[in-house]
Amino acid sequence: MKKLGILFLIICMGSIQGCSSLDENPQSDIVTNQFYQNESQADAAVIAAYRKLYETGQSLYNSLFQIGVEMATDDYEAGPRARNAHVRAISGLTHDASNDRMEQLWKQSYDAINTSNIAIERIALIGETHINGTVRTRLINEAKFLRALHYFNLVRWFGDVPLVLHEVNSLEANGLYVEKSPSSEVYAQIIKDLQDAENLPAPGAYSAANIGRATSGSAKSLLAKVYLTQQNWTLAAAKSREVIEAKWYDLFENFADVYAVGRKNGKEHIFSAQFLGNAGYQGNSLASRSAPNEVPGINGDYADAIHKQGGLYESFSENDTRKAVTFSTSLVSPTDGKTYTFEPHLHKYYDESVVGNQGQSSKNLPIIRYAEVLLIYAEALNESSGAPSTAAYEAIDKVRARAGIALLKDIAPNLGKDAFRDSVFQERRKELVYEYQRWFDLVRRGPDYYVKTLKAAGKTLAAPKHIRFPTPQRELNLNPKLKQDPLWL
Amino acid sequence: MAYFLQQVQRVTLLICCVVGTSLTISAQTKPLINSHLSGRVMDAQTKEPLPGAAVQIQGTTHGVITDQQGKFSFVTGQPFPYTLIVTYTGYKKLEIVANNPNIDIALEVLQSQLNDVVVVGYGTKKKSDLTGAISSVNNNLFKQPVSSIDQALKGSVPGVQVVQTSGQPGGGVSIRVRGGSSIQGGNEPLYVIDGFPVYNSTTNAGTTSGTPINPLASINPADIENIDILKDASATAIYGSRGANGVVIVTTKKGRADRSNISWESSYGVQSLRKKIDVLNAQEFAILRNEVLFDTNPAKGPNQYLSNEEVAKLGKGTDWQDAAFRSGNIQNHQLTISGGSAKTRYLLSGNYFTQEGIIRHTDFNRISLRANIDAQPYERLKISSSITASKSDANIAPSGIVSSLLLMPPTATIYEPNGSYTLRNPFENIFANPIATLNEQLNKSTTNRFFGTAFGELKVIEGLHVKVLLGADVNTTNEKLYIPSTIYEGTQTGGAAGRGNYSSYSWLNENTITYNKNIGRHAFDVLGGFTQQEFNSDVVRTGAEKFVTDQLKYNSLQSGATLVRPFSNTTSWVLHSWLARVNYTYDNRLYLTASIRTDGSSRFGKGNKWGYFPSAAVSWRIGNEDFFKRYKQTISDLKLRASFGVTGNLEIGEYQSLATLYSVTYIIGNKILTGFTPNRIANDQLGWETTDQYNAGIDVGLWNNRVLVTLDGYYKKTRNLLLNVELPWTSGQASSLQNFGSVENRGIEIGINSKNFVGDFTWSTDFNFSLNRNKVLSLGNGAKQYITGNYIIQVGQPLGSFYGTVTNGILQTGEEKDKGAFTGNAAPKPGDRLYKDINKDGTFTTAADRAIIGNAQPNFLAGIQNHFSYHGVSLSVFFQGSFGNKILNGNRQSLELFTGQQNAAGSARDRWTATNPSQTIPRAKLDPAPIFSDRFIEDGTFVRLKNIALSYDISRNWLHNIAGIQVYVSAQNLLTWTKYTGFDPEVTSGSNVSPGTDAGIYPVAKTFNAGIKVSF
Repeated sequence: MKKLGILFLIICMGSIQGCSSLDENPQSDIVTNQFYQNESQADAAVIAAYRKLYETGQSLYNSLFQIGVEMATDDYEAGPRARNAHVRAISGLTHDASNDRMEQLWKQSYDAINTSNIAIERIALIGETHINGTVRTRLINEAKFLRALHYFNLVRWFGDVPLVLHEVNSLEANGLYVEKSPSSEVYAQIIKDLQDAENLPAPGAYSAANIGRATSGSAKSLLAKVYLTQQNWTLAAAKSREVIEAKWYDLFENFADVYAVGRKNGKEHIFSAQFLGNAGYQGNSLASRSAPNEVPGINGDYADAIHKQGGLYESFSENDTRKAVTFSTSLVSPTDGKTYTFEPHLHKYYDESVVGNQGQSSKNLPIIRYAEVLLIYAEALNESSGAPSTAAYEAIDKVRARAGIALLKDIAPNLGKDAFRDSVFQERRKELVYEYQRWFDLVRRGPDYYVKTLKAAGKTLAAPKHIRFPTPQRELNLNPKLKQDPLWL
Repeated sequence: MAYFLQQVQRVTLLICCVVGTSLTISAQTKPLINSHLSGRVMDAQTKEPLPGAAVQIQGTTHGVITDQQGKFSFVTGQPFPYTLIVTYTGYKKLEIVANNPNIDIALEVLQSQLNDVVVVGYGTKKKSDLTGAISSVNNNLFKQPVSSIDQALKGSVPGVQVVQTSGQPGGGVSIRVRGGSSIQGGNEPLYVIDGFPVYNSTTNAGTTSGTPINPLASINPADIENIDILKDASATAIYGSRGANGVVIVTTKKGRADRSNISWESSYGVQSLRKKIDVLNAQEFAILRNEVLFDTNPAKGPNQYLSNEEVAKLGKGTDWQDAAFRSGNIQNHQLTISGGSAKTRYLLSGNYFTQEGIIRHTDFNRISLRANIDAQPYERLKISSSITASKSDANIAPSGIVSSLLLMPPTATIYEPNGSYTLRNPFENIFANPIATLNEQLNKSTTNRFFGTAFGELKVIEGLHVKVLLGADVNTTNEKLYIPSTIYEGTQTGGAAGRGNYSSYSWLNENTITYNKNIGRHAFDVLGGFTQQEFNSDVVRTGAEKFVTDQLKYNSLQSGATLVRPFSNTTSWVLHSWLARVNYTYDNRLYLTASIRTDGSSRFGKGNKWGYFPSAAVSWRIGNEDFFKRYKQTISDLKLRASFGVTGNLEIGEYQSLATLYSVTYIIGNKILTGFTPNRIANDQLGWETTDQYNAGIDVGLWNNRVLVTLDGYYKKTRNLLLNVELPWTSGQASSLQNFGSVENRGIEIGINSKNFVGDFTWSTDFNFSLNRNKVLSLGNGAKQYITGNYIIQVGQPLGSFYGTVTNGILQTGEEKDKGAFTGNAAPKPGDRLYKDINKDGTFTTAADRAIIGNAQPNFLAGIQNHFSYHGVSLSVFFQGSFGNKILNGNRQSLELFTGQQNAAGSARDRWTATNPSQTIPRAKLDPAPIFSDRFIEDGTFVRLKNIALSYDISRNWLHNIAGIQVYVSAQNLLTWTKYTGFDPEVTSGSNVSPGTDAGIYPVAKTFNAGIKVSF
């Protein structure tokens, strides 16, 4: 019995003394304050910011742009398979402030901005012995480029938006609730960030392992586009000329090379969302979204439709080499070997190496490429003078020449300013379709133009307010400092 | 706090020291023989011997057990006369004086249930002494053929709502004790199985698709002796931060100190689908599809799908439900060996349970072993262990199967003419051929579980006991998935294999001290203790795609050409607790209970680790007062109870207070690089959900306690809800887990247990009724509501409120101009559904014109069980019902999209056409976007004959060497009265924010069962 007593004593004492700690020390997770200590962790912060170009699922540059933005243009409509009421609402222009795709645009953009803010601020705090000074500056500028890109999208979609430039890392109301800044201030910040990003390495300066990161060329080209959007024609022309004269870039001879897996990050590509098939959720899902579903073995998930009445497909001349690269109207089934024909489907991102599994398409999505810089230059030159100059003609004709169609200077040498503008926009539409430019281009020309174009394409509910997206109702509900866009009141 | 802990530690150590030293003064003496006594124990009425009755000499520890003939004998140092204490389960305890060496003892059958012992937290109590609201489950219910114990709780006791979330064999169950009080935290009760607290959270690795297997299915229900459900705070506060959702105390069977008993029980049953859903046949579908295509593109004519001649030849086509549903067998075999002596008792059991699902290629089976041992190796020491090990295997129905069965067009065939599978729905809505999926996809889960507790209890001095309990729960779940390249899901990947492993272990140590003391009319019962529990889990997942052959399945991941990114994760939590409870009884008239528990949990913010959970309760047994004696003829017992207490809820998962980073990948240099970014904002103040609960109850015994009525009313307010408070997205985060807002539950519970007839013919009735009203009081942060999918959480409204559009008839010819804006269509046509313009802006949009259109919570629940027996024949009839709850019939919502892209409900036959201007059913048209409306909210009220069982006990007198044979037949879900049009009103989603949705859920089965139990 004595032994028993001792045993109980030992167990009681042991159990009380042997308490495991109540502190949480996760084994599978890193806590924020333990991170951002050295160069490789700084790089991880910037990689995360790049990742926010697209995360898993329907994300910004991986089809959300298509579903949430381009659906509201004359190029597309919700196809017979688009089952989501929100998507159909955007297509039919019956969307409101509760539209979940537009909410996602807002949400994902700010998520990306926060990730950039974290990189910008935390990388600056890393001790000098733990990071090379040049690398530090470069990484911060990469994050600034990305932040500028997202603010540029936001300000064009939503107009005035909250300008958040610091990491939100506490639940204090001051940091959480931010009022809108006038779009002019947002633009000023975008320009400031891009001017910093102009100090990034020049195109070609990166080692092969770093290809795909933003460069000074990316920053300058995007800056040209920002100026263009602001209708600051002089600066837009100057900045695009700077890019052209630097001779960093050129057009591929063959339009198909723009989307060729083997030509990724080639001479025409200025900045692209990078995709890689069979590498986790890194495939370009726009390819599967645009592959037809009726061809056995293709496993397409086609839910959008090219708007027939808009005539985008028909507007390409037969000798336009872009037509066959941009669209497919027939495919051979890998299952039964038969050829199936169908209504025109987008084909730019269709990856022949993953037939039947287009969700794993390795094709990059160009966010800005040299052809667009040429068109920016042409447009800016035209707008900044009374009539289109030779240089403006040359710029647009480079794009047309590569497409194999008649040069504008040959078929319409004496265009007036307005007609030339129409030609540039028409060229942009054909050249850049499925690169998420159409909605921006339509609204850039003002509400009347947008409404007229959309109505002509059969979207009868188009209204002036549609040149901007409503501020998400959720945000208005949560943030007392936020007001709805007057257009949407 | 640290100081407080130190003090408590010191006190505990001191007590341990006392225990240790007190033992050293114990001494033993050799007994002298003074008398021989032999006797027989029998039933007072039938005079049948009672084997296994315990006979003890009062004032000594000397006790024996009667043998098969009810005989016993003593050789003792006690001289005559002395008092014997005779106890036998189900009979009144008898004290009888023995004067000479032979004695016959007749025991009376226990009439009252008030002497039943109820298991409470860290102890037991007589039912008559309870101060809190505790319900015991009638153990007739365990006799149903169910895969897990929680399924047997349906309709069993008042205040407990049991929703089956899937009919998948081994599938899940969701239980709410007195309503759901948490919005985003867990709402399931805490299970305490033989002293081991278990929160029944899923333990799957995430490889398999479809409903995860219920972890409780690894515990064999046939081993369970009783289940007590603790409901009010006086009962649950001793479980502190885990008590807010109620506590289900499960006690497994123990060996009895009688002769050895071997019993074998086998049952065999057949299950089938209760009802099919009415969908269109091939011909009807083809006509509908022609109609849709014509409407979309009139230029191409009215027969774009099939010509009239082709349609005429179609016939009924494929009945996908018939192809998938089957009758499934269910079998249960149990061998139990038990017995022992007064000092050692044992129970060993082995069980094999196998259940085929009513959907092809789905099943669940379990092999389990149990060893429960109780021993008293020394006079002052009791030891006990309760250990079970089990292996369960399941083939799980892949998710989406049930919807696909309903939506697959009847014009499609299972196989192509060449014998290969039809891959998918041939039309625009792409989903795989469900029969191919069921036949070819492998979706397996295997769980091995070891679960055991052991304790030693030492009597230090009379009334003072120290108990040390250790427990372990070791669980491993292996998941295997293979999607062959021959079915649609595998065409993209060229065959996909996945393996997943979830393993967890949890250990428990509880050290408690109890002290009982009676001083005259005062009785004290004090409990104190320290407990700690730690839980660790580990998940690993990997897979590969693109296989040259489907033959290797998931057994050769390395032969896949594409590797799937692997995943691993590990988590742990720790809970430290101090607990104390005092029960005080004055003269069996006044009862007081006070308890407190303090819990320290690793899950909470560093500024908020410890919580305190006190409770107090009082009851007054008026029935034992002198002035009440004159009513005793009718009202044999009367007790009033009142309690208040605080309990908590910590079911939020781990690391939620920390700003952890998550990894992402991006492509740079055409290679994958890893990035890290925060997934939340840190919240150091994250703490418990706190529930204050008030309870008042009355227990009445009528006519010598043949009828017992228990009535309880309660008010529960849960504050500091663990709520994912939405943050403006501009912060970069969507939400933050914070303690905000409150929810209340109020309710009434009635339980009636009546022995209507006693004697040769017995008839007893157990009835229960519960009513709960739930309301969201605040959501914090100024928020008034959250909309999540088809639900709204709104201040002033109950949880589970459906939020959708309100239908308003059908647009008729000529009304386009006036009412077209209320169809939600850009180009309205007659036959479109009309909706109410709730915000009165002159137009209808799905987002802006919504209202609360029903609630998933029932107005009340009721259950009634009648048990009849006559000379060994007994019949048990159990009805159960839920009243006033609404169900979102998600299957119907999909089936009433008359798009021709998928099959449609039978109601499509009455759809609007120019010649059939229906006011309720819209026209066929392409628009494939479903609009959630009140049309799909249905009355979920049902009354069901849950269980009917007839059994016959072949009297033991007939048979030699066999103690008894029982044969029985039973049926579950035999009859159901409901207006619900879906498969079954009982099976719906069970989550806190979105309960009551029936969309693609595996339906529950109707079962016929027969069995035999032989005891040797």
